[in-house]
Amino acid sequence: MIFNNKVWSLEVKNFLLGNTVLWGFVSLMLFGLYGFFHGNNVIERQEQILAKIPSVQTAHIQTVVEHGKGKTVGSTAYYPFFYTTNPPSPWAKFSIGQRDVNPFNLKVKMLGIEGQLHDSELTNPLTLLVGNLDASFVFIFLFPLLIIAFTYNTLSEEQESGVWKIVRISSSHTLSVIARKLLIRLAVVLLTSAIVFLMGMIYLSLPFSLPSMQLGIVLLCYVIFWFTLALMIISFGKSSSFNATVLVCLWIFLCILFPGIANIIIDNKIPVPEAQQTAIKQREGYHQKWDMPKKPTMETFYASYPEYRKYPIPEDKYSSGWYYAMQYAGDVESSESSDELFKKLEQRQNLSDLFGQFNPVIAAQQHLNKIANTDLANHIQYLRSVKRHHKSLREYFYPGIFQETLTENLDWNAHPKYEPAGYVTASLLSGIVSMLLWSIAIFFTSTVLFKRNFIHITDKQNA
Amino acid sequence: MHFKFIRIIAKQEWLSIFRIKTPLALYSVLLALMLLATFTGWQYVNTFNKQQAQAREEVHDHWMNQPNRHPHRVAHYGYLVFREKSPLSFFDFGLDSYVGNSVFLEAHRQNTVNMSEAGFSNGMLRFGQLSMASVFQLLIPLFIIFIGFQTIAGLKQNGVLKILLCQRASYYDILIGKTLGLAAVSWALFLPLLFTALIGGVFLLNGNITPQTGLNIGILLFSYGLYLFIISMMVVAVSALSSSGANSLVVSVLIWILCFVIIPKGAQTLGNYLFQAPDKIAFEHSIEEEISKEGDSHNPDDPHFAELKNKTLKKYGVDSVQNLPVNYGALVMQEGENISSGIFNRHFDQLIKTYKAQNSIATILGFLDPYLAMRNVSMSISGVDFETFSEFQKQTEHYRFNKTKNLNEIHLTQIDYKNDRDQKVGQSNWQQMAEFSFKPFSLSQTMKNSLWGFISLILWTLSGFFVLQYISTLRKYQL
Repeated sequence: MIFNNKVWSLEVKNFLLGNTVLWGFVSLMLFGLYGFFHGNNVIERQEQILAKIPSVQTAHIQTVVEHGKGKTVGSTAYYPFFYTTNPPSPWAKFSIGQRDVNPFNLKVKMLGIEGQLHDSELTNPLTLLVGNLDASFVFIFLFPLLIIAFTYNTLSEEQESGVWKIVRISSSHTLSVIARKLLIRLAVVLLTSAIVFLMGMIYLSLPFSLPSMQLGIVLLCYVIFWFTLALMIISFGKSSSFNATVLVCLWIFLCILFPGIANIIIDNKIPVPEAQQTAIKQREGYHQKWDMPKKPTMETFYASYPEYRKYPIPEDKYSSGWYYAMQYAGDVESSESSDELFKKLEQRQNLSDLFGQFNPVIAAQQHLNKIANTDLANHIQYLRSVKRHHKSLREYFYPGIFQETLTENLDWNAHPKYEPAGYVTASLLSGIVSMLLWSIAIFFTSTVLFKRNFIHITDKQNA
Repeated sequence: MHFKFIRIIAKQEWLSIFRIKTPLALYSVLLALMLLATFTGWQYVNTFNKQQAQAREEVHDHWMNQPNRHPHRVAHYGYLVFREKSPLSFFDFGLDSYVGNSVFLEAHRQNTVNMSEAGFSNGMLRFGQLSMASVFQLLIPLFIIFIGFQTIAGLKQNGVLKILLCQRASYYDILIGKTLGLAAVSWALFLPLLFTALIGGVFLLNGNITPQTGLNIGILLFSYGLYLFIISMMVVAVSALSSSGANSLVVSVLIWILCFVIIPKGAQTLGNYLFQAPDKIAFEHSIEEEISKEGDSHNPDDPHFAELKNKTLKKYGVDSVQNLPVNYGALVMQEGENISSGIFNRHFDQLIKTYKAQNSIATILGFLDPYLAMRNVSMSISGVDFETFSEFQKQTEHYRFNKTKNLNEIHLTQIDYKNDRDQKVGQSNWQQMAEFSFKPFSLSQTMKNSLWGFISLILWTLSGFFVLQYISTLRKYQL
C-alpha cells in the first residue's frame, strides 16, 4: 500500500495545498535572502577595511621614517604601528560567529605586546547584543520553527476533524499511513533546506569544496534532529495545541534556556581574571624597571637574546637597547598569566563542546562557526599569530637599535610582513555523531510511542 | 462599560486559569528559572565587582607607592580603570557583557575600553543570556500566551460567547475583563517576586538601598506591570480575532517570534545601514589628519608651535627657551594634549551620535514592538544601557585629560628645561590626585534617556483600549 502512487499523490496534494506550507516556505526564503544579504554586508565591510591596510601601513611607515631622519633607529622605532589582519574565510558570510565581537585587525608597536593584544574595534554594543540574522541563524533558529509548523498537526488535525477514524477503518496499515504523511513532510523540509542552502551557496559565492560540504552535512543532521524531535512529540497522540505548545517550549529550551544556563556554568567554572592581571603585571613589570638598576633587566633580555651582550649599556644614562629590554621584561613578567588566559579560553571552548554533546543546537552552531573559522578558537589562533609577528618585528629591529644605526640607513620597508594564520579545517566527527545519536534515539522512542498510541489503542473512545 | 461585568469576567478568568494544571506547571518552570537567573546573576555581579575592586585597589596602591619619578614618566605609567557593574545589573545584564571592562589611561593617547566578556566567550553568549530581565521580557509574555490564547477563541468554539453576549455584558466589557483577568494573574504571580528579588539583591550587593535605587526599583515594577498588561491585551486581541484556539496560538507565537527575534535584529541592521559608523582605522586616521593640520608637537617646523614659542618668549621677555622660568617642553606637551584631546572629543562625540542614531531605529520601532520599548526602559533604569557606557568612556577620558594636565603642570614648574630627562620629583606630587570614580546618571537624566520607551509603553496601553473597542464593534469577530 505504501507504494500506491495514487494515495501518495493525494497525500502530497493534501499537504501542499494547506496555507502553512506556502507561508512557511516563502517566509523561510525571505529570511534566508535577508540572512545572506546581512552576512555579505558585514563581512564585505570587514574586507573593505582590511583592503585599506596595505596603503595605510606604507604611508604610515613613510611618515615616521621622514620624521625620524637624523635620529637613531632606537628612537624612531617607538613610533610606527604594524598592522596585522585576520581576513575572513569565504564561509564567514554564512556564519558570522564572533567576528563582529572580536577585532579582525590589530596594530602593534615595538613596545610590550601584552598591553596591545586586547585592543577592541569600534563597535556599537547594542548591535552586538542583538546579534546577527545571518544564514546560520536562519538555519539554527528558524528552520526548527518551520519543522514545527509543518508537523505539529500532522495527525492531530485529522483526529480533531474526525477524518482519522475513517482512515483507521479504511486502511489496514495505520503505521504506513503515518509513515507516508511524515515522509512527505520530511521531503518538503529537506527540499526547502536544500533550496535555501543552495541559494546561499550561490548568493555568497561559496566555493564547491570540503568546508561547504561540511556546512551542508551539519545542517542536514540538524534538520533531521529537529524532525525526529517533532516526530516524538506527535507520537504522543495529543491535541494540536498540546503539540504546538510543547514543541515551542522545547525550541525555547534548546535554543535559549539551555545555552543560557550553559553560559552561566562556563562563566562560573572558568573565570578569567587573568585578562586584567596580565594588563596590570605587564604595566608594572615594564615601568618599575625605570627605577631599577639596568643590569638585571638586561640579563632578562640576554637570556633570550645573548647575541646583544656585546653592545655596551651605560648604567648611568638612557639608551635605546635598555628601553626595549624593559619593554621585553614587562612581557616576560606577564607571560605566565597571558598563557594562563589562553589556556582558560581553550578550556571554555572544550567545555562548550561538551555541552554541545547534549544539545544539538549548540553543537550545530559551534560547528558552523568552526567551519567558518569565526569562533573563539580562531581568534586565539589569530592573537597567537600576532604575538609571533611582534616577535619577528622586534628581532628585525634589535640589530639597528643596539648598533645605534641612523633611521635613514635602515630599510624600513623590508620589515617582516604579517602572514595571516590561514584557514583551519574543522573536524566534525564528535558533533555529527552526537547529533545523529540523538536523532536515532529519539526516532526509536517515537516508533515505540507511535505503535502504542496509534496502533494498539486501548482507549477506543479517542481512537 | 459596566465595571461590575468587567470585574465578574476578570474574576472568572482568574479562577479558570488557576483551575487547570498546565499554567502551574509552566509557572513552576519559570519560577525555577527566575530563581536561578537571579541567584547566578547576583553571584556573578558580586564576584565581578569584588574582582574589579581588588584590581582597582592594586592599581591604586601601585600608583601611591611609585618612587620619586619624572612627571612625564608618571604620565606614561598612566592609570588603569576598571569598570564596575551597576547595582541593578544583576537583574538586567543589558550591554554589560558586550562592552569593555578596563581601560588604560596614559598621556597622548585615548585607548579603547577593552576586555569585554563577549570577547572571551565562545559564542554561547550569543544565544542570549539568562537574566531575570530576559525571563520577564521574553518568557513571561510566552507564558501569558499559553494561558490566554484560548480565552476568547475558546468561548467562540464552545458557544459560550454567544450566551454571554445575549446577557447584558457588551463584547467590549468581556474583552477588558479578560485582559484584566490575565494581567491580574501575571501580576500576582510575578510582580511580588520581582519586588523581592530587586530589593533583596540590591541590599545584599550594597548593604543598603539608596533613595535613587529605591525609586529605580519602583519604576521598574511599574513599567514591567504595564508591560505585562500590554501583553495581556495583545493576547486577548489575537484570541478575539481568531476563529479557533489553535489559530490563536499559532498567530500569537508568530507575533512573539516577530517581536522578540526578528524586529530587534532588523532594527539594528537597519540602523547600521542608514547611519554608517566609521571603522577604527578611518576614525583614527581622520583624527591624526586633523591634528597634523592644527599643530603637530612632534614636528619641529610646525607653524602652530612656532607661534606658541614666539608668544611665550615675548610673554616672559626672554630670547630663548632655555632662559624661560618654566619648562618649555612641558608647555609644548600640554598644548599638544589640548589640541589632540579637543579633536578626539569632537570625533568621539560624533561617533557616539552615530551609534545613538543607529539605536534610535530600535527606539522608534518600540512603537511597533513593546518588547523593544520595555528592553530600552529596563536597560536605562538598570544602568546597563548605551548611554551609561558612553558616559563611562567620557568620564574616563575627562579623568585622563585632567591627570595628564596635572602632571604636565608639575613638569612645567618643577623640572628644569636643561637635563630635563635626568630629574625627578617627589611622590607626594601625584599622591594627592583624586582616584577615579564613576558618577552614574542622576534620576532625571535616566528618565530622560528612557523617555521614549515610557511614551511607547503608555501609548501601547492607550491604543490597546481603542483596538479592543474596535474589535468589539465588528460582528464577524463575535461569532
